[in-house]
Amino acid sequence: MPTAAEKILSRACGRAVAAGDIVHPVPDLVTLHDWYVTHAAAALDRFGVTEVQRPERVLVSTDHEPVATSPAAVLRQAQARQAAARFRFGMFHDVGREGLGHVFPVERGILGPGMLAMGYDIHLTNFGAVGALGLYVLNEVTELLACGSVWTEVPETVRVTVRGSLAPGVTVRDAAQRFIAEADPQVLDDAVVEFAGPAMATLGIDSRMTLMNTPVELGARSALAEPDAVTEAYLRGRYRPGVEAARSDADAGFRARLDLDLSAVEPQVAVPPRPECAVPVGEVAGQRIDHAYIGSCASGFLDDLRLAAGLLRGRRVAPHVRLFVTPVTQAVQAAAAREGLLEVFAGAGAIVTAPGCGICAGGRIGGVGRGEVSIGTGTRNDPGRLGHPDAALYLAGPLTVAASAIAGEICDPRQALGWPA
Amino acid sequence: MTAFNWVLRGSAWVFGHDVAVDGDLMPLEFALRRETDPEVLRHHLFAQLDSGLAARFRPGDIIVAGRRFAQGNPHIQGLLGLRGAGLGLVAESVPGGSFRNAVSAGLRMLPRAEGAIGEAATGDALEIDFRTGLFRNLTRGTERRWPPLPPGLQTIIEVGGWEASFRQRLAMMKAAEPAGPNAPRL
Repeated sequence: MPTAAEKILSRACGRAVAAGDIVHPVPDLVTLHDWYVTHAAAALDRFGVTEVQRPERVLVSTDHEPVATSPAAVLRQAQARQAAARFRFGMFHDVGREGLGHVFPVERGILGPGMLAMGYDIHLTNFGAVGALGLYVLNEVTELLACGSVWTEVPETVRVTVRGSLAPGVTVRDAAQRFIAEADPQVLDDAVVEFAGPAMATLGIDSRMTLMNTPVELGARSALAEPDAVTEAYLRGRYRPGVEAARSDADAGFRARLDLDLSAVEPQVAVPPRPECAVPVGEVAGQRIDHAYIGSCASGFLDDLRLAAGLLRGRRVAPHVRLFVTPVTQAVQAAAAREGLLEVFAGAGAIVTAPGCGICAGGRIGGVGRGEVSIGTGTRNDPGRLGHPDAALYLAGPLTVAASAIAGEICDPRQALGWPA
Repeated sequence: MTAFNWVLRGSAWVFGHDVAVDGDLMPLEFALRRETDPEVLRHHLFAQLDSGLAARFRPGDIIVAGRRFAQGNPHIQGLLGLRGAGLGLVAESVPGGSFRNAVSAGLRMLPRAEGAIGEAATGDALEIDFRTGLFRNLTRGTERRWPPLPPGLQTIIEVGGWEASFRQRLAMMKAAEPAGPNAPRL
């Protein structure tokens, strides 16, 4: 019997399809960001295409570099605006309009359970938080725009049962890092990682986006959270179902079944050079840092800002450290303002930047220099990701980053919170 | 027009597991500057592992690799370089993003060749039919058969990769629906 991914792709193909099939599904949403839309437009021009298929379903977000601080960036934004107008993209969210395109389609109820999104960037897997399947197609998004579909292989599914509960001082990002550190990349390779189980009831949509964001770093194709009461409560009033929700059948042909025990997780730090190189924070505690960052499509949600502000309230960032905080969206920034979180960050000596990807988008703003050490909640820590290739990049959850920014060195947030490590 | 050559005959170049797409297969700088010319990229293959290696490849040679060949952030440049050098690829596995890029580059490959690195040593003479999945080590006199690409993807390789296949599709759409409301205008 079919998996949720097979059901979603069957609907989008208009026929029953199964894992391994090469298919041309028609997505409900196509997403592109400001750093690729100009390339896509140039490719459409090169191929002589003047109109795109179903332009009303195309969403473009100015999130990788919302504040243009160079002549090149100003020009790129102008070209993106021209492309959006010329090809009549239905949802063009320019500077100051919504924020990070891997997130606000969830916030705004543009997507819901059972829907299919396809796009350029790998992190549209976040849409799985509300049971929508996000499949990246990289540069072939040009064909998707021009022809209305592009090939994809129907992925197999790995089913993950989430149990237990997070200990105090441990965040869902720690669990997500631990998961990709322990998982066999061969098992996750090109699969949809589907999260279900008793502990999902304790994870809100912010937490689910974090959980959906990380498996792709290890080579998974996408991720899904099985729609449940949490999904339903979140979507009430913001999403009008257009398609049927999809859940895997109990006897679906999963590639593998895995467990994720939240109770066994302790704060994690991914050491250079890859996100899956996660170790318990104790192994790198004491490492001096210069730079810290809270944000990105993995961990710049309201929950993350609340956790960080909880630690930073009444404290100061260490004198030699600069801390950047980037709310993922305008809505998260507004909520953070209402709750007084922005005041906490300002008081602690942190900088709050424009909603979007923040530092994680190549370090174009607030990046790192040669020999510097950074700890942040970005998606990846490949050398050069945040600026100079000779900087050392560590990844962690928002509590560990906030605690480390205060201490001036990597430190276990449970100590700062007064919990036993 | 000559028929597409699915059979390659050449020397084996054997690599281990986890060859990274950035750094091992191709220096990251080519991805950052979005270089996509296979003729440029072929000269920089594996440059950080062995700067003289690219010059020793001959068209028809085969890269034999272990698990997770071209792992990492899915940049297409290394795959385009392999195609530009006229190489084939036999790998125990290729992660999804790089697999897509390899198809897009039009690379002849057997991406699910379990146990491949035990079947050849660097310098062995190989003959591989990428359409059927038949792998022959002529030096050792051995034979293996691995899953070939599915037919739907072989057609993309056969026409030369994604750009050529996309161009064909646009032409077919134009022929089928010249007056459709959303038809691409060519």
